[in-house]
Amino acid sequence: MKIENIKKEFPIFDEKIQNNDLVYLDSANSSQKPKVVADRINEFYTKQFSNVGRSVHYLAVAATNLYENTRSSVQKYINAKDKNEIVFTKGATEALNLVANILGQNYLNEGDEILITELEHHSNYVPWHFLRKSKNIKINFAEMNEDGEVTLEEIEKKITPKTKVIAITHLSNVTGAILPIKEITDLAHSKGILVVIDGCQGAPHLKLNMQDLDCDFYAISCHKMYGPTGLGVLYGKKKWLEELPPYQGGGGMISEVKKDSISYGELPNKYEAGTMATAQVIAFDESIKFMENIGIENIMKHEADLVEYGQELLQKNNSVKLIGSPKNKGGVLSFTLKGVHPHDIATILDEDGVAIRAGHHCCQILHDKLNIPASARASVGIYNTKDDLDKLNDSINNCKKIFNLK
Amino acid sequence: MNLKELYQEIILEHGKNPRNLGKTDDFNKDAKGNNPLCGDNVHVYLKLNGQKIVEDISFEGSGCAISMASASIMTDLIKGKNENEAKEIVEDFLQMIKENPELKSEYLQDDEKTKLMCLSGVKQYPMRVKCATLSWHTLVSAFENKKEEVKTEN
Repeated sequence: MKIENIKKEFPIFDEKIQNNDLVYLDSANSSQKPKVVADRINEFYTKQFSNVGRSVHYLAVAATNLYENTRSSVQKYINAKDKNEIVFTKGATEALNLVANILGQNYLNEGDEILITELEHHSNYVPWHFLRKSKNIKINFAEMNEDGEVTLEEIEKKITPKTKVIAITHLSNVTGAILPIKEITDLAHSKGILVVIDGCQGAPHLKLNMQDLDCDFYAISCHKMYGPTGLGVLYGKKKWLEELPPYQGGGGMISEVKKDSISYGELPNKYEAGTMATAQVIAFDESIKFMENIGIENIMKHEADLVEYGQELLQKNNSVKLIGSPKNKGGVLSFTLKGVHPHDIATILDEDGVAIRAGHHCCQILHDKLNIPASARASVGIYNTKDDLDKLNDSINNCKKIFNLK
Repeated sequence: MNLKELYQEIILEHGKNPRNLGKTDDFNKDAKGNNPLCGDNVHVYLKLNGQKIVEDISFEGSGCAISMASASIMTDLIKGKNENEAKEIVEDFLQMIKENPELKSEYLQDDEKTKLMCLSGVKQYPMRVKCATLSWHTLVSAFENKKEEVKTEN
């Protein structure tokens, strides 16, 4: 599959959005879906539906096999050592809550410290904040530098003898900084510290190799990977998933239930209580195949070209101020426009069919640091082209015209 | 939808140079409004005299052009009105932003109505109505001297 023709695989680009062709620059929020993924959901519901892992009838066995196939595909895609290290969740948010919860139950003690960064999305801060209340855990923040990065040196500086967990983003959803997580993990492990990665922005755009990264947990959002909503993946090292207690109780996660004792199921069932997002899991296999067909190296090259082009374009546009200039940058272009509030920018761009996000992007700590309440963010995916970024720039110029800016 | 209707010259002008911006010296009532998701915030200060007439009104805050212009125009119109008149004007404005094609209040002069109708373009942008109404709800809260923050999100 050639990346140049990829837009054709996404039916939404055949639609007119308020009489405009869609220029979709909000993939860091959620990506559009290729036809194969949408079709797979429909096919499963109309021709193959059954719950998984319980009944012995034909459909149940077939659905269970499909469901487990996706687990194997994910394992392969992220190069995890063991299939049972892949846990399906309702999203990356749940994946991070799961990790914080089980570490809080049975790993962290009062007075222990967790190190996060000023770049973190609220999903990688609030779940740890819960432990502040319940376990008297302290949270420290590694600071973002002027380029919108958090460096290895800064992480090292903020580690104390009490640091037990480092929870960091792989790729900032605001500045686009790609963090040196392999180096951070090496450093952390040398001090006996666990590493949890928020991979929401990393997984759709970067080559993943869990055995090489060696992190202890990695959270993935499937709807940002051209997959269905309502689904996330938690990668966790087998050792931890075996040792730590379950997160939620219910059907499917147990081994034996008696009036006076309960034993829990083996991995991965232990962490998948209740009926899971079966259709989404099965359709997610198509998302992975789709990305594999294009090739992650090609995706990375394509998106790096786009970011470079977009950065140059916006840098040349006076009045536009880009947020963050990290040396290693992913497909995110956050900016402010002098004298124009991001919500006004987003409304005006929307009128031209250019879909971006305005707000704090669930990163209030980061925006407080920059001393701005909000920013505008254009983010790219595999279907974007340089033409899309030209249209973004034209629409920003239209915005300047309305606000009488030069 | 029509952007020109939303971003009229008068809105841009008020958004850029808001009237009555700052903290009134001797206010006796105030309230805060905050829409954390979009980052608009406003603090309305009132100086009400013994006859419950708004002798002075001002606001502090930051936000989009719509929210700033709306607060600016509001403070201009409310100054000199008594509490009941002001509350009726607020109600009239909120109804207009929601559904009414025009303003009805007898406490507004024709030129004041014309100015306020500049905000009617917001109707076509449901996501932005909360920006236009934040300062108005905060004004009502200021009359009551309420301590909890007003929100128009959700």
